[in-house]
Amino acid sequence: MPAPTIDYQPYDDDSQLARYIDRYPLSFKRTPLTPLIQRPLTLSERTGPSGTDLFTIGPFDLSKTTETAPRATGQLIQISGRITDEDGSPLAGAAIEIWQANSAGKYIHDMDRHNAPVDPNFTGEGRLVTDAEGKFQFFSIKPGAYPVLETGWWWRPPHIHFSILGRSWMDRFVTQIFFPGEPLNETDLLLNAVPDREVRDRLIFEFEGTSMGEVNAMGFRRDFVMRGHRRTPEMD
Amino acid sequence: MAVSPYCTIGPYFPASFVDGCEDLTHHRGLVAQGTHITLTGRILQEGGVPTRNTILEIWQADANGVFRHSLDPRCGEADPGFTGWGRARTDAEGWYKIQTVLPGSYEGRCPHANLMILAIGLTRRLVTTVFFADKPDDVRDPVLDCVTDTAARRRLFARRENSGEYRFDLILRGENETPFFLD
Repeated sequence: MPAPTIDYQPYDDDSQLARYIDRYPLSFKRTPLTPLIQRPLTLSERTGPSGTDLFTIGPFDLSKTTETAPRATGQLIQISGRITDEDGSPLAGAAIEIWQANSAGKYIHDMDRHNAPVDPNFTGEGRLVTDAEGKFQFFSIKPGAYPVLETGWWWRPPHIHFSILGRSWMDRFVTQIFFPGEPLNETDLLLNAVPDREVRDRLIFEFEGTSMGEVNAMGFRRDFVMRGHRRTPEMD
Repeated sequence: MAVSPYCTIGPYFPASFVDGCEDLTHHRGLVAQGTHITLTGRILQEGGVPTRNTILEIWQADANGVFRHSLDPRCGEADPGFTGWGRARTDAEGWYKIQTVLPGSYEGRCPHANLMILAIGLTRRLVTTVFFADKPDDVRDPVLDCVTDTAARRRLFARRENSGEYRFDLILRGENETPFFLD
């Protein structure tokens, strides 16, 4: 059976962060001056990498480096969500790359100069794949806040990075999701670079309550909507 | 349903998500068919300043012009040794390097590869297309033809160096800016 044809529209600027952000100097040095050029979408742009073909999936529990290793320091969290397209159709088999700071706000990365401790029991990296209903879930440790040292003032609120390989090059997607109720959310340059409250809320986890028993964790949820409508047969 | 907001990749994309992805010429123990090439260049911001720690991703057809994707009617013929996808990170001088195969042409399109750039300072990805041809001015391609300025159009072609490497610089902003497409 041939794959369905998907209709992709350019991202609506009102649903996205501003390209230029005051007090974020690199946005003024890296954003092209020349208007972006409209192009037709051919087979090349309508196809794309399949993450499950490329990556080893896992771990699903980032709070431990191995099954028997001690748990990383910090608050255990369970993150869940669902990926659909604009019609609400699930994106099954989409690969997700996640990365985050440890509970002290430290990444394992050669560019991170923050003097917070590395946790030997935490890498902050994982790869997942959505199920037939587009759902995903994983355990982790709540990330800490950290300073952007070059700026002299900006502290990033706790957040988790998501990179999604959907069904084509057009829905190759990268974002950051924040935690509700964090005081630093009010001053973060990125979270506040959105035109309205509703868009801003799409960058924040919903608190899903707590679990108790075999697993004791705080639950958070964030659904993602990748662009694309299934084209109806009569339009083909 | 409202589309999710993009956000910058930030400075801390894990090295383990890049390591090994710079080489597209092998997949699961198989060697990719066709001409193996090195695609290399610098990613520069305003004033020609190198961008360090920028993530570049590539998506292309195999040497026979087939995409490893169910939407390609020739998907069944796709090279099992080639996925078509790769990723690299720029060094302190802004250099990236990708090992791949020369993409094949197919009906309607000249040999090309899709590129996307993710970096701090960019709240959304930047997308463009690199083309491969001996005589750029003779090429007709529906995506390339959207770039009407002749000088800008030429900037979308990789240049074959004497070393055999293909050189393609990406200038994000300013003089000799690379054409980027609406995304």
